[in-house]
Amino acid sequence: MDILKFAVRKLFGGIPLILGVTFISFLLMVYFGPDLTWEKLGKNPTQQDIMEVRHELGYDQPFVKRYGNYLKQLVTLDFGNSQMTDKKVSTILKETMPVSLHLIIPGFILGNIIAVALALFAAYHRGTWLDKLIMTGSVVGMSISFLIVIIAFQLLFCSSFGLDLFPVRGWEVYNNEGNIIWSQYFKYVTVPTLATVFVALGYNTRFYRAVLVEEMTKDHVRTARAFGHKPASILFKSVLKNAMVPITTRIMFSIPLVVVSGSLLIESYFGIPGVGKITYDAIVAGDQNILKAIVGLTAVLFVIVLLLTDILYRVFDPRVELK
Amino acid sequence: MTSKTLTNANEFDPNNFEKGDSLWDKAWYKFKRDRMGKTGAFIVLVYFIIALGVWFGIWGGAWSDTSDDLWQGPSMQHLFGTNVIGSDVLTRVIYSTKVAFEVGFIVAVLSTVLGAILGSLSGYFSGTWVDSVILWLMGVLDSIPFYLFVAAVAFALKENPFAMHIAMIATFWTGTARVVRGEVIKLKGQEFVEAAKSIGVTETNIIFKHIMPNTSHILLVQSTIAFVAAIKSEVILSFLGLGVKDGVSWGLMISESTQDVLAGHFNNFLSSSVFLFVLVIAFNMFSDSMQDALDPKKVS
Repeated sequence: MDILKFAVRKLFGGIPLILGVTFISFLLMVYFGPDLTWEKLGKNPTQQDIMEVRHELGYDQPFVKRYGNYLKQLVTLDFGNSQMTDKKVSTILKETMPVSLHLIIPGFILGNIIAVALALFAAYHRGTWLDKLIMTGSVVGMSISFLIVIIAFQLLFCSSFGLDLFPVRGWEVYNNEGNIIWSQYFKYVTVPTLATVFVALGYNTRFYRAVLVEEMTKDHVRTARAFGHKPASILFKSVLKNAMVPITTRIMFSIPLVVVSGSLLIESYFGIPGVGKITYDAIVAGDQNILKAIVGLTAVLFVIVLLLTDILYRVFDPRVELK
Repeated sequence: MTSKTLTNANEFDPNNFEKGDSLWDKAWYKFKRDRMGKTGAFIVLVYFIIALGVWFGIWGGAWSDTSDDLWQGPSMQHLFGTNVIGSDVLTRVIYSTKVAFEVGFIVAVLSTVLGAILGSLSGYFSGTWVDSVILWLMGVLDSIPFYLFVAAVAFALKENPFAMHIAMIATFWTGTARVVRGEVIKLKGQEFVEAAKSIGVTETNIIFKHIMPNTSHILLVQSTIAFVAAIKSEVILSFLGLGVKDGVSWGLMISESTQDVLAGHFNNFLSSSVFLFVLVIAFNMFSDSMQDALDPKKVS
């Protein structure tokens, strides 16, 4: 029951954040953003036509009312129609969301699990050549641009200049009923996943190792060692479990950004019709309704993630109070 | 696991320091012994000289010249070959070095300054409404997806060539501000602040003349991190069409090379990626060794 109360209070506490994000993005993108009147009008419009289109787009209303409308859209999840394709924004999101999730989940999970494993290994062998090898590798991984990795991996795995094992672009993984075909899925998801994991490993391994090493120098670990506990059991019970708080924070906080930003590059480069792709198209075309929906929903996702992180802290560290 | 603690103790021999040595003396001593850091600093310096040369018009000025030699491989005349319209790839890569340094420098300096000021304010006034407002602002800016924020700023500024820089500055300062805030909260309880208060130094002077200089080692490290982040973001933003508008940059070169590589011409892609990669890794090495040298608490 405590947890439920805590959750409700936290959700209300997230409202200023959502208001801030929506306000700034609304101000920049819509209020100061491009005027779409002329794109909607035909040739030689009369004054009447102009007024009608401006009314339709809501430009004739005061700022507060327009911003209020946006908030209402966010609450009802009804963002109107895409200005480019005239499809309902909520329908577009419903179609693209699963694609992005299918695309991003394997890479996200693998990128974090492998990184924690490597970090544990490096921290366990701290100061030896194994540690140095892993850390050098992670600096190299950190220094290569995501874009370069994507292009290079596509060349290596998908083109006739390399191994030519996987399709270059596209996402034909669903059958007519909309169910996933696993063999096809594997074919299309492998190269994007490899690229995501490669880039994630550099940053993650470094961060996780730093966290683990800091924990290893603490007094309780020294005491455990003095009492003759096995190194492996110290590593998992005393070090890893205590380090789970910063590790969880990092994983949780990367979720909202990975969903939008991470898939933006991959999806636009591999031509995968997910949220990232429509975001990219919307940026290029200035489709405000889609952008408004994505920014607003990301902010909501952020607040939910903040809440879940706080609850997870409690799981790993019983001393954390829910207040 | 045990042997390392011994070598660590040797590395930091207290006999090597005079009594009055400052943090900076110690840092310089540590940095001098860090081979990775020195290599990184040297490479960054070489890039900086290349950028200065472009600035003074010694080389790189002919980046937009075209010729009839389309898609040439490397030769004596064109060391890195030519691109689809016959421009010399080496010249373009060199000119882009200047662009990268401009982006990195502007963003690193301004975002660090902004982060230092707002971080110090929120740390000094922690628990008050000033702190809450700044924390709220940081939370808001961190929750907007970065590429969307850049796009939004670009919309609002109507094709202003500095839209990318402004967007990066507006988002990168939060990282610095969070670290500075934590440090200032620790510092403001110390005796020197109390002493300054008791002799009637104004709050503005306490914050900016007494406390903020004590965070300068953090600011130096944070600015190198921002520099690297800015260079890397420029590449992706230019590829998405949100970045550098006039001239050429590594990002634009990589984005134009996506057509080349499909046709089997790799020199454009390879030269720009390798130039970018070497600068970023050198800067990362330099930044790491500065952190090691300047942060007494860091365990490596």
